Amino acid sequence: MMTQPTRRAALGCALALVAAPALAQDGWPSGPLHVYVGFPAGSSPDVLARIITEPLAERLGQPVVIENKPGAGGVIGVQQMLANADDDDLTFGTTINGPLTTAARMMGDTGYDVGADIAPVTLIATSPLVLAVAEGSGIEDLQGFVDAAAAGDQALAYGSVGQGSGAHLTAELFADEAGVSMLHIPFTSYAEVTTSIIGGEIDAGFMAPSAAAPQVEAGSMKMLGITSAEPFAQAPDVPVIAGQAGLPEDFRAELWNGLIAPAGTDAAVIERLNTEVTEILADPAVQEQLLAIGWQAAPGTADAMAERIEADTAMWGGVIDRIEAQ
Amino acid sequence: MSTWDGLLTGLSFALQPGVLIYCVLGVMLGTFVGVLPGIGAMAAISLLLPITYYISAEAALIMLAGVYYGAQYGGAVASILLRLPGTPQSAVTALDGYPMARSGRAGVALFAAMASSFVGSMLGILVLVLLAGWLSRAATAFGAADYAAMMVLGLVAASTIGSERPAKGFAMIALGMLLGCIGTDVNSGTMRFTFGRTELLDGVNLVALAMGLFGVAEVIGNVRDPDRQGVAERIGLRQMAPRREDLRRMPLPMLRGASLGSFFGALPGTGSTLSSFLSYALERRVARQPERFGHGAIEGVSGPEAANNSAAITAFVPTLTLGIPGDPIMALMLGALVIHGVQPGPMMLEARPEMFWGLVASFGIGNLLLLVLNLPLIGIWVSMLRIPFRLLYPAILIFVCLGVYSVRGLTFDIVAVAGIGLAGYLLALARFSPALLLLGFVLGPLIETNLRRALLISRGDPMVFLERPISAGFVLAIAALLLLSAWQALRRRR
Repeated sequence: MMTQPTRRAALGCALALVAAPALAQDGWPSGPLHVYVGFPAGSSPDVLARIITEPLAERLGQPVVIENKPGAGGVIGVQQMLANADDDDLTFGTTINGPLTTAARMMGDTGYDVGADIAPVTLIATSPLVLAVAEGSGIEDLQGFVDAAAAGDQALAYGSVGQGSGAHLTAELFADEAGVSMLHIPFTSYAEVTTSIIGGEIDAGFMAPSAAAPQVEAGSMKMLGITSAEPFAQAPDVPVIAGQAGLPEDFRAELWNGLIAPAGTDAAVIERLNTEVTEILADPAVQEQLLAIGWQAAPGTADAMAERIEADTAMWGGVIDRIEAQ
Repeated sequence: MSTWDGLLTGLSFALQPGVLIYCVLGVMLGTFVGVLPGIGAMAAISLLLPITYYISAEAALIMLAGVYYGAQYGGAVASILLRLPGTPQSAVTALDGYPMARSGRAGVALFAAMASSFVGSMLGILVLVLLAGWLSRAATAFGAADYAAMMVLGLVAASTIGSERPAKGFAMIALGMLLGCIGTDVNSGTMRFTFGRTELLDGVNLVALAMGLFGVAEVIGNVRDPDRQGVAERIGLRQMAPRREDLRRMPLPMLRGASLGSFFGALPGTGSTLSSFLSYALERRVARQPERFGHGAIEGVSGPEAANNSAAITAFVPTLTLGIPGDPIMALMLGALVIHGVQPGPMMLEARPEMFWGLVASFGIGNLLLLVLNLPLIGIWVSMLRIPFRLLYPAILIFVCLGVYSVRGLTFDIVAVAGIGLAGYLLALARFSPALLLLGFVLGPLIETNLRRALLISRGDPMVFLERPISAGFVLAIAALLLLSAWQALRRRR
């Protein structure tokens, strides 16, 4: 502690301000980092975490251990991160949007309060969804789809990967904005949704571009629109939904994946990790690896991620309100 | 490319030393993790995933596939010797394999399992090569109504196995279905019987249920009853070699099992489980003395083992021809391809023929390796039974805990397996069949989901089950089976 201000101390203060992240917690990281992932090894969120943590380990000079704790749509991963938090600030997690935005609404109680227990570090990547139909459906474009859906109440049936999943909520948001009502058929994986669309059992589905693309290439499916604000690099020919077929110009629905820490983690550590991950995501090779599994790098500040959580919680909360009111 | 050219290309690719080594590695690792109860192909493939970044996509796929079907061989070992099945399929093998081991015929049971696995795999490969296109069309033609009807047929057909009295069998299926209700309901998103525990949101852990009901219950039973210990000492070569009668009893069950497995394996989801149970039920039905089943009938090992191995091969049909993974392990393998920049999908066969045919060829090579690897190992496995029980049982329990923990990494599941083991012991005392409980547990939620999904899609019209030709066929078969059973029961009463 400095009790007497001296010139040297003043200089030290100035330096400390510049190099605050490095000095505030000397010697961090003091051991291996543990990153909790709420999905099984080999799944898309898991591969994303590995793509980021491999260079991260090099930069920090400490190994980064991925802890796969799958279950409950990623909620168990967040719970386990909080349960294993320590004083050394070595416990983190990567998660998709669900556990931080809609899970509390869908499950009633997740065992954590996102605002109070979670410290966002940075957004890592986003993924839009595409609206896919069978090739032989006779629907040519988004306008045709909206017209077919408007032909009657629940004239079209769509598949999702579960109640409250991004695919479900996105479809309901779309239906609401387009002024139509569609029949929701929940499945458990995009593989099942794809089979059901190709088999002609259901009409459509909002899907991950990487799940739909191979079927489009083979001529058994087509993509009518994408939910991002701009065309997506993995499916550049697919038009954005916003502004088409009577949908609002600001229509946008994306899944995202971010790095989080338990609340109480040193601000300097969060700052340091944010900087490292942002630099990692600037590497074109990393961006390409992410794109191959359907994610577009989208780093930002910790505050920006906190805002995104808040905005999405409100937006999807409104969609859930409308679904429950039906 | 014709089938013949394709196979030749595939063989020359798969036999390259740089590729062959990964096939060898895969099947060896597969056997190893299969033997370790509960640590299935899923855990092994997850562990291998980082290694695959450093080898070619083709070699990676061949290695991971080797783990997948290799684990099917290994799975039989723990179920036959120790009654420790890690999957519902190997639980079927334990039904007669374990009684065989207890009566000193462990070697014969293992031989039957290995030989049947090999024959089943080879027939599976044949079907994959000749009928892949047809099977993949069949797989997409199956809708929710068809799955629901098919699984009801499976339940009805299998309900007679493993229990002397049908009422007891039905009770176990019903209990299994009730246990299957625990967790998040797919259709409504409602959480059922979770008591606020997030660990239960995805339901009861299947591995914990299988190992608790069989392995842990068996350990408890043997500890309580010292007379049941020490059966398997001193096994000479003579008891290990199959008798002529054993060999005579194996070929037909193998063929029937492999046919069932080849077809059901291609259907995403439960093909393998369903075909094992169906094969067992079929063998029991056609047998001259059905009462031998459950007490060490070699047909009860041979048929289901051929079925689950052929199903493990044809399970690749939707994955390879449509790029649609049939189960989570397949999804994991496809994930490995994506990391290599290979987009799995319907175009893969044309875009990368060496991958498809190389894999098919590696199935043949891998299964041959597995047979050669496993036959000499039988002696070593059997000698495991000579380990004194005071050492064996704690080891078993440690392996059970490891296996259960390896699935999700939650201590909750270890507590669960202990509780399930105790319940399993009580059920065994009352002579209830745990295998049927497992079947109900696996099929129950799927029947419910598909039944409700079919009715949702048909907008509530139950006629959908008769209007769809596939489903109508299954409904007819269910009716025929029920009538047959009723007729047999009536005739017996006279």
